[in-house]
Amino acid sequence: MPDHHPATESDRAAGEKPPALPMPPEVRARFDRIYQRPVVFDVQNLSRTFISPQGQSIQALGGVDFKVHRRELITVIGPSGCGKSTLIRIIAGLESASGGQMLLDGQPVTGPGADRGMVFQGYTLFPWLSVKKNVMFGLESTGRGGAAAEREALQWIDMVGLDGFADHYPHQLSGGMKQRVAIARALANKPRILLMDEPFGALDAQTRAEMQDYLLQIWRNVDVTILFITHDLDEAIYLADRVLVLGRNPGHVKEIVEVPVPRPRTPEQMFDPRFTRVKQRVEHLIHPPGEAPKKPLPVIRMTAVGDEVF
Amino acid sequence: MREPWFKIRTPLSGRRRALLMAASFVLPVLLWCVVTYTPAFQTEMRLTLVTEKIGDGAVFSVGDRVAKSYFGTLQDNVRAVNAGVLEARAAGGAKGSGRANKKKLRQLRGLAESGGYLAGVDPADFKAVDAVLFDLYGRLAGGDIAPGAFGLSDENAALVRANWEILQAAAPYGEKDFVKEPLQYLIPQGVSASPVFLPPPGECLAAAWTDFTTEPANGQPWMHQRLLSSLKVVFGAFLLACLVGVPIGLLCGTSDFFAKLIEPFVDFFRYMPAPTFGLLLQAMFGVAGAPKLALVFIGTFPHLVLMLGNTTRGLDRSLLEAAQTLGAKPARLFRSVIVPGVLPRMYGDLRVLLGWAWTWLVIAELIGEKTGLTAFIDTQGGKYNFDRVFPVIILIGVIGFATDQLLQSLGRTLFPWDVSSGAPPRRGGLGRVVAAPACALGGAVAWAVERAGRPGPRERAAAANPGDHDA
Repeated sequence: MPDHHPATESDRAAGEKPPALPMPPEVRARFDRIYQRPVVFDVQNLSRTFISPQGQSIQALGGVDFKVHRRELITVIGPSGCGKSTLIRIIAGLESASGGQMLLDGQPVTGPGADRGMVFQGYTLFPWLSVKKNVMFGLESTGRGGAAAEREALQWIDMVGLDGFADHYPHQLSGGMKQRVAIARALANKPRILLMDEPFGALDAQTRAEMQDYLLQIWRNVDVTILFITHDLDEAIYLADRVLVLGRNPGHVKEIVEVPVPRPRTPEQMFDPRFTRVKQRVEHLIHPPGEAPKKPLPVIRMTAVGDEVF
Repeated sequence: MREPWFKIRTPLSGRRRALLMAASFVLPVLLWCVVTYTPAFQTEMRLTLVTEKIGDGAVFSVGDRVAKSYFGTLQDNVRAVNAGVLEARAAGGAKGSGRANKKKLRQLRGLAESGGYLAGVDPADFKAVDAVLFDLYGRLAGGDIAPGAFGLSDENAALVRANWEILQAAAPYGEKDFVKEPLQYLIPQGVSASPVFLPPPGECLAAAWTDFTTEPANGQPWMHQRLLSSLKVVFGAFLLACLVGVPIGLLCGTSDFFAKLIEPFVDFFRYMPAPTFGLLLQAMFGVAGAPKLALVFIGTFPHLVLMLGNTTRGLDRSLLEAAQTLGAKPARLFRSVIVPGVLPRMYGDLRVLLGWAWTWLVIAELIGEKTGLTAFIDTQGGKYNFDRVFPVIILIGVIGFATDQLLQSLGRTLFPWDVSSGAPPRRGGLGRVVAAPACALGGAVAWAVERAGRPGPRERAAAANPGDHDA
């Protein structure tokens, strides 16, 4: 399966050959194992065109291609307006594509379904249901209810560390706790792929770091494949096996970067030169050095001479 | 440090809130007391002693009101007539009749009635009444009864004594051969009173007590029966509107198909004032209860559908999307997300609409056979008995307010998870709470004032054309 190994199809098509990132042998071996696994989700030439209110057609996504292997954690990052959210919403079936197709376990999918669970940035817990009932919602939707579903829900609640909160209402929980319930709710449905749309974007930095570690622990212990969208570079690299970098106008896959940082991940690894090198690489992909420099603000000096802060 | 009372968008302490809420009710009542009990604001005299028609003057009965500025003229006119009587007597040419003198005797009747001296006497039996009045005249002149305590002015006490000089010749009272020498008129008396449209609270309370505790004449329904009949119309029509409107509103808010199919016409329909259908409904449903229900229904139903449609559309879209990614199919989305999701705000909408139902009640009860509280307001308002009208209007307000408070606290119990509208401290809640019954109250007051402006059998026209009220 040669198309799995090079992660830079589109760039190669453009005639550029990025220097390969040095990778420790154990990480290389891990990637080889990942690529041996079956493809769970296959996105083929996915495009999306909007008609603006002025009647112009705007292409948000133009031919996005990528494959996700079983139990891989892939993050998607890109500059604002690159169509990250559109992409994940199309995958979730909440919006329809204008062209291309998506295969889940080889079968084409359209429309929303329980096989693609989703965690949103806004806490989309049902405020009228207790934590337990929220987690049970998906089970009941797919025809499993009753005592077995309740037991299962409680297990998931334990799994995300919220035992004792089963009978609380969402408004009684903190942001991080709500998002853990949302993850439990999505996982309880046993989706083939878990879609996460900037799930920690609304959390403070400390809670966010905590949640990242929770997610990695959960992912390690649960048979689930994760597609994670973020605008935070550190988060994208810290969580990912591979980082899918989107470019804009229209949204396309710029490069899929393999992260050469060994697992299990710890926050200290963020100071690892391998980590910083990937970070630099992705940063350059998002904001190429040749791009127009930022214009300074037209600020007039309003302080006394000699009263400098720097 | 003391917390300031006025601070932008800062909730006050519980004690202060309670104090202000009490004040918001006490202040209007105080204002009412001040305006009705302060002589400076009392612009009228309510007559307690009147004369028969004199010359070209108007006829007044006991209880009638005249402007204070006119009262002096009225008295002076009578004094002038008395001077003429004395002059004629002195000239020896005084001509009178027993009949005219009996009429002058009857000037005491109003005071005698309010003093309880005519208790047990058949008011229609003029002979018996006259006998009692004659007897009273003598006792007043002789001082058995103090004229001041009886309610006579000093001037009239003197006149009573002067008249008795002549009258006593006819004692003991007999029908035949009554004194013919002309007596002097007693001078009209009255008490200072607030304008007829603003009876003082004391009088209103007394009137309310009487109306609620004494059996009405002519087989009219008791007050509590009227109240029950009004409640049946309001709640019956409201429940009917809910039964039909809630499902339609939910459908409109859920599916653009139903919204575009139903809402434009309903939106148009609500601009046609419900009262204009009054006669039509009467023709359709007869004159009993049905057209009244129908009118309140027409008045509330379109609003219910439109409000509920909007409320349902206001449900956070992402909740529906989340449910879809959890595998919920349309039926389950509706049943398990849309319905429970809009329930608390729908409950709030329905509370507002219940206030509307009260507004339409006033018009509805005038259709066909007048019933309920409105019929009472209509009758008594027509007679200018606003001391009996006010308590009923206030009663409607109190019921509306109490119902709304009850529903509000019930809502907090029903939807404990709804922090957006249910949890204390609640801001802006009281405004909404007051608004609904205030609508009903305001409508009733406006109607009563308008009704007072032009008495006469025009209720039909009025009910059929609310434009008259608005004008």
